[in-house]
Amino acid sequence: MIARIDRLQVLLVVMLAALGVMAVFSAHADWVRQVVWVLLGGAVYVAATFHDFRRLRALAPALYAGMLLMLIAVHLIGHTALGARRWLSVAGFPLEPSELSKLALVIVLAAYLSRTERMSWRVFAGALALFAAPAGLVLTQPDLGTTLVLVAVTFGVLFLAGARPAQLASLVAGGALALPLLPYFLRGYQRRRLEIFLDPSQDPLGAGYNLLQARIAVGSGGLFGRGWLHGLQGQLGFVPERATDFVFATFAEEFGLLGSLVLLTLFGTLLIRALRSATLSPDRFGELLAGGTFVMVFVQVVENVGMNIGLLPIAGIPLPLIS
Amino acid sequence: MISLGGAEPKPRWSLRLTAAATVAVLVTGVLVDKLAQLQVTDGSRLAALAQANTIHRVVLEADRGIIYDRHGSPLVENSPVWSLAVTPAGLLSEPMDRAQELIELARISGVAEEKLAAQLFAADPFESVIVKTNLTQAAELAINERLPELPGASIVQRSVRNYRDPLVFGHVVGYVGPIDPAEQKRLEGLGYQPDEMVGKVGVEAGLESSLRGSDGWADVEVDARGRVTRTLAIQPPVPGHALYLSLDAALQKATAASLAAGLVRDQKTAGASVVIDPRTGEVLAMVSIPGYDTNLFTHGISQAAYNRLLNDPDRPLLNRAIAGQYAPGSTFKMVTATAGLQEGKITAQTLLSCPPYINVSGWIYHNWASYSLGQMNVAKALATSCDTFFYQVASMVGDVTLARYARAFGFGQAQAIEMPGVAAGLVPDHIWKQIHCGVPDLNSDECRWSEGDTITFGIGQSYLLTTPLNQAVYVATLANGGHLLRPTLVHEVRDANGHVLPKQAEVAANVPASADTIQAVREGMREEINPPYHMNYWFRASGVPSDGGGKTGTAQWGGSGLDLPTHAWFVFFAPYSQSEISLSVFVERGELSEVEAAPIGVDIMKFYRNNVGTIRSA
Repeated sequence: MIARIDRLQVLLVVMLAALGVMAVFSAHADWVRQVVWVLLGGAVYVAATFHDFRRLRALAPALYAGMLLMLIAVHLIGHTALGARRWLSVAGFPLEPSELSKLALVIVLAAYLSRTERMSWRVFAGALALFAAPAGLVLTQPDLGTTLVLVAVTFGVLFLAGARPAQLASLVAGGALALPLLPYFLRGYQRRRLEIFLDPSQDPLGAGYNLLQARIAVGSGGLFGRGWLHGLQGQLGFVPERATDFVFATFAEEFGLLGSLVLLTLFGTLLIRALRSATLSPDRFGELLAGGTFVMVFVQVVENVGMNIGLLPIAGIPLPLIS
Repeated sequence: MISLGGAEPKPRWSLRLTAAATVAVLVTGVLVDKLAQLQVTDGSRLAALAQANTIHRVVLEADRGIIYDRHGSPLVENSPVWSLAVTPAGLLSEPMDRAQELIELARISGVAEEKLAAQLFAADPFESVIVKTNLTQAAELAINERLPELPGASIVQRSVRNYRDPLVFGHVVGYVGPIDPAEQKRLEGLGYQPDEMVGKVGVEAGLESSLRGSDGWADVEVDARGRVTRTLAIQPPVPGHALYLSLDAALQKATAASLAAGLVRDQKTAGASVVIDPRTGEVLAMVSIPGYDTNLFTHGISQAAYNRLLNDPDRPLLNRAIAGQYAPGSTFKMVTATAGLQEGKITAQTLLSCPPYINVSGWIYHNWASYSLGQMNVAKALATSCDTFFYQVASMVGDVTLARYARAFGFGQAQAIEMPGVAAGLVPDHIWKQIHCGVPDLNSDECRWSEGDTITFGIGQSYLLTTPLNQAVYVATLANGGHLLRPTLVHEVRDANGHVLPKQAEVAANVPASADTIQAVREGMREEINPPYHMNYWFRASGVPSDGGGKTGTAQWGGSGLDLPTHAWFVFFAPYSQSEISLSVFVERGELSEVEAAPIGVDIMKFYRNNVGTIRSA
C-alpha cells in the first residue's frame, strides 16, 4: 500500500501546509487551529491511503445524499456571516458544507461518468442534474465563489470525461445566457464587489479598500519581500481578511516575488502530479477523480491568487491548503 | 489527497489531459506576469504607498512662551483644551456598525450627524480629523471613558492662551488666532501647521518668532485603525522663549485705574497713557481705554461679538497708545523752544510779548488768554503755555527747521516697539503739503504752505499728529537730557533653558541740542507744575512732590477755526534731576487738559512714588 503513495505529492502537500501555518501565524490568526486542521487533514489522508480509492465509487450515492442534506441544513439552521448563511456548528466546530460539496461533487461526477465510455446527451444531462442540486443550494446561501468552483469542476470533469464539442459549447452558451440573471442572485455587497473590481478607486474605504490594500501589500513585497513577520500592510491590519481570503497578499508582502513563485511552483507541481496520476490511473473512475481534483484545486488557486493581485473579482474563495 | 495506485503502469497522456495541463501552465503564466508587474515594475511605488499608510509624521507642538511682567508675574497661561478627532479608516468597518458608531459620536460630541459624516467622508481616511474643538471637561471625560468602544476616535489635547486681566493688559499682550488665508503661504513656509495659532496683535504678534518655539515631530507607525504601534524617530519640540515684559503689572493696573477714573470723572470714554523709564526706554505701563476681552479671540470669537467690537463708537480694538494719532497741541511747545534756542533765534533770557492775538497777513491767531500776559522768557512762556510767544518763535525758526527738530524728538516716526500697528504720526512742512494737498495746481491755496501753517505748527497744531507712545518717548528725551531712546516692551527674554538672551541697543539718536538748551526747556516744564501756577494744586492735593517737569496740551482737531473739539494731553517726567519716569496721558475729546489730563498723570505718579520700591526691585 505504502509504495503506491506518490512521495513527491506528500512532500509538496507538507511544504504547502507548512507555508500556510507560517502565513496564518504572521497574520495574527489562530495558527494553532490551523495546525490542528492540517493534522486532521493529514490523518484523513493517511486513512485514505490504507483504503482502495475505488471503494469511494460505491460510496458516491451516500456521499451525494449526505452533501445535499448538509446544504439544506445550512439553509435551515446555519450561522450567518457577511449576510450569508454558510456555517454549521458541528460539536462546536464550525463546518462549511459548501467547502465539502466541492470534493463531494468531484467524487460523484467521477463515479457517475465512469459508468459509461460514450458521452450521450442523456448522460450529459444526468451529470448536469447532479451538479444543479448542490449548485443551486450553494448559490442561494448565497455563495457565488463556491458556485463558480462547482461550475468549473463540472465543466472540467465533463471535458476530461470526453464530452462532445457540441455539449461543451452548449454549456458555454448556457453560461452566457445565465450571466444576465446573475445580479438577481447577488447580494448588495456582492454586486458592489463586482463594481468595485471594475473601478477600485470608486470607494477606497469600503469594498475597493480590500482590493487596493491587498494590491499595495503584494506590490510592496518587491522581489525579495519584507521578511516573515515584517510586512507593514499585513502586520498592521491594512490587508483585510489577512488570515483567510487575503492570506496570499500577506504572504506575498513578506516573501516577495521569489516567495510567491515558490508557492506557485509548489502548487503547479502538485497539480501536474495530480494530472499525472490521472494518466497512471488503471480505470476511468480514478482518471476522472484525479482530473476533477486537479480542476478543483486549480480553479481555487487561480481565483484566490487572481483576486489578491487584482486580476479577478473578489469571490471569497480560500487558497487551498493555506487558508 | 487521493492517492492513486497501480503497478508501475505507463502514463497515458490523453489529448484532453494534455490540454488541461497546457491551460494550467498558460493561466499560471498570466498570474506570474501580473505578480511580476506588481512586485517588480510597480514595487517601489506600491511600497511607498504602504509606507504612507503606516508611517505618519506627527507634529509635536511646541509650548508657546509665557509672557510675564518684569517681575515674573504671568500675564498669560497655556491652558489645555480638548478636541475630538476621528480617523475615518479606524471606524468600525461593517456598514451597520459604522452607522451606529457615527450616531454615537455625533451624540457625545454634539455635532450634527450629517455634518459629521460629510466631514469624515471628505477627509483622507488615514488622517485624523478634528470634528469638535473646545470640548468641556465633562465631555472630555465622558468621551475618554467610552473611547474603547469607539475605534478611530481619539481625544486631542492642545493648549490655548488664557490671558489674565485682558482689559488691562490686552492691548499690550495682544492675542493669538487662526492663520489668515492671506498669510497661509508665508507661514507654512516657516513650518506652521494650517491649524496653528499665530500672534495677531500686541507682543503676541510682535514677538511671534520668539514666543512660538519650534515644533518637534515623531515618526510613528500606525495600524489600520489609526492606533500608534510604535515610535520610529522623535525630535522633541523646543518651547518658545519666556518673555519678561518691561511692564510692571501693578503700575499697569494703577495706570489703567487712574485713567479710567479720570475718564469717568469727566464723562469721557476713551484715552491712553504710556509710562516709560527715560534711562532705558523700557515701557513700564501702556494703557488704552476702552480695552476688550482678548480671550474671546483665542476661543473663537462669534461673528456677533466681533461685530459689536468693530462697530463700537469707542473703537475698543484700537490701541490708542500706539496707533491713535492726534495733534499734540501745547505739549509740542518744548520742540519749538528747543529749535528757537538751538538755532539762536532766542536765548533763555530773550523776552517776547504774549499778546491776546497776533495778525499774520490779515489772519488773526489767538492766544488762549484774551488779555496780554506781558513780556516773558521761554521758561515762563512754557509755564503759561503762551501761544502767541511760540507763534513768534515758530515764525523765526521756519517750518523746515521746526520739522527737523520734531523728528529729532521722535515725532513722525513709528517707534520700533515690539508690536505691529505702531503709527508714525505726522510731521508736516511745505513740501509735505504740496505732495499731499490732493490738488493738481500746486500754487492753489490747498497746496501752498502759509505762514499760518508755520506758526500753528509751533503750538502743535497745523497738520502735526502724534501718538501717546511718541509723546512718552518725546518727554523721556527731555527727561534724560536729549537722548532719543528706542522704546521697548521687553525687559528680558529667556530661552527654554532659562538663559537670558541679549538685548539690542537702547539709544537711537541724540537730539541736536546743547545741554543748556535742554536745560532751559526743562526749566519751563518745572515751573509749570510749581507755584504760582495752578497745576501745582493737583500735586498738593495728592501729596505728590512737584519734583519734575510737566506740560499740558489741549489740542484742537477736526479742521480750523474757533470752538473746535479738542483732545487733552499731559506729559510729565520726574524727578527733575536723574529722572526715572516719564509719562504721557491722553484724553480723547478732553476739553481742558489742566483739569482732565493732568490729574490722571499726578495720580499715576502718586502710585509710582508709593510703590517705587517694588516697581524698581530686581
